[in-house]
Amino acid sequence: MAEMEKRSYILIVDDDPDILEGIVTILESQPYRLATARDGKKCMEMITQEIPDLLILDLLMPRMDGWGVIREMRSEPRYTHVPIMVLTTVIEDASRRRYELETGMAMDIQDFVQKPANPADLLQRVEKLLKIHV
Amino acid sequence: MFEVSARSLTVTAERLRRSEIFSELCDEDLIAIAEFCREQTFHEGEFVLVEGAPAETMFIVERGKLALEKKIQIGRHSTPRNATIGYVEPGKIAGFSTLTMPDEYSTSAVCLEPTRVIAVDGKALRAFLETHPAAGLKVMRILAMLVGGRYRNATNTLTYFLSIVSHELRGPLAAIENYLQTMLGGFAGELNPKQKRMIERSILRVVDLRTLIGDVVDLARMRPEQIQADFEWCNPGEIGTESVEDARLAAAEKGIRLIIEPPPKFEPIVGARRRLRQVFTNLLNNAIKFSPPDSRVFFRAWYEQEAVVLEVEDEGPGIPEEDLPHIFKDFFRASNVEQTQGAGLGLSIAMKIIEAHNGRILVRNLTGEAGKTGTRFTVYIPRDLLTPEMRRREWIATESDQLKG
Repeated sequence: MAEMEKRSYILIVDDDPDILEGIVTILESQPYRLATARDGKKCMEMITQEIPDLLILDLLMPRMDGWGVIREMRSEPRYTHVPIMVLTTVIEDASRRRYELETGMAMDIQDFVQKPANPADLLQRVEKLLKIHV
Repeated sequence: MFEVSARSLTVTAERLRRSEIFSELCDEDLIAIAEFCREQTFHEGEFVLVEGAPAETMFIVERGKLALEKKIQIGRHSTPRNATIGYVEPGKIAGFSTLTMPDEYSTSAVCLEPTRVIAVDGKALRAFLETHPAAGLKVMRILAMLVGGRYRNATNTLTYFLSIVSHELRGPLAAIENYLQTMLGGFAGELNPKQKRMIERSILRVVDLRTLIGDVVDLARMRPEQIQADFEWCNPGEIGTESVEDARLAAAEKGIRLIIEPPPKFEPIVGARRRLRQVFTNLLNNAIKFSPPDSRVFFRAWYEQEAVVLEVEDEGPGIPEEDLPHIFKDFFRASNVEQTQGAGLGLSIAMKIIEAHNGRILVRNLTGEAGKTGTRFTVYIPRDLLTPEMRRREWIATESDQLKG
């Protein structure tokens, strides 16, 4: 049980089930605890139950999109420390510009990966984020 | 006899009045124009006018509906397709090229249903408008509005269409590529050598497709001010490394050695990082694509007084002399590359990106030089570019200087 507690908990949010399965398959090679959500609303519900050590987040999603999730995460003191990796088909400049236009603030995320993610690269980035923030 | 003719003239004039283009003309003008008009009917599917043909007649739709079509051909050898760019309904006109240079139809018009039109003789109409300047001005004013409207509409439709298509295609492609990469990485179990090779090939094909889609979308967005808005401090060494990373798999596939010759030290420059990476990835991928197996591709960089210079050189067949002036044009593909895939957009996009940096991109055919073959692309990026923030500060500084002065 004590062993279980030490494993990093990663929440992956994407509306595309194939992307979720691919990412989960890659991350399963490491001793992480993984959970998935298909939209921003579900993501926020799951975060109220357990705060993840890392959030991997798509931007274009139904119900609540990724920008909305980032906004909520960064305005709620309990969640501001959670590192966010954006994983999306939207290009980085356009993503950041849209967030700035909507909120008037810079998008506070810790990593940005454009889909499709290279598996080895993804594992490295995840490990780095967990090391810094946990 | 005269009675009938006069009455039919009045009927035609009345119909002309209901058309957009002649709506502001007086009875006298309308009756004069009616003299060189005739009514015509067309079947469904029949062409009323054909793109590129001499524009001798203008058509006013009375009943029915026309589709305006434009021939679209991507690359030299693909089948041309017709894209519908608009519709012409009763009261509207088709073939207004009749009134403007270069007097040839800019689109085709095909009947979507049985259609009745008034065909106006172009030469006679022009002569009439020239001798009746007041009427001419009214018609030309409406014409300018119509042309402007159609142009705006076409650009909007195109941009909208491209952005939708890009998003719709990127999602599924990313999912496929992600699965393939996951399998290739061994995360879903061991692969035998044949499976591994097939997956590698699939990834290359998907990447080609993704690049192609990206190129078509980029072309619509590639305006200098958009590129300049992304200017930031960046390290050309890192950009080069990323580009090499993008091209590594394609090189390995053909057994091509990438030989990298960097300067002793990289100094940062101002530029659009992601766009520059796109330029060098494209040049490297081109070099690899057109090189024979087991040859070498060189990627060099050095600094000059005013520019950082990056160069990609291959040992391929070179570009035919007659093609050299055209290689930076949209959709151009050289005449000796029929067997190789691509839309012919990579270099025209690279050119637009480098021009937005006030830089230069030069191409040189090495074939024929002292037993050599190949092509060399040399890119110069100025070292004195400004980020948007620097430009803002500079502007404020000159403003306050002027105030003080």
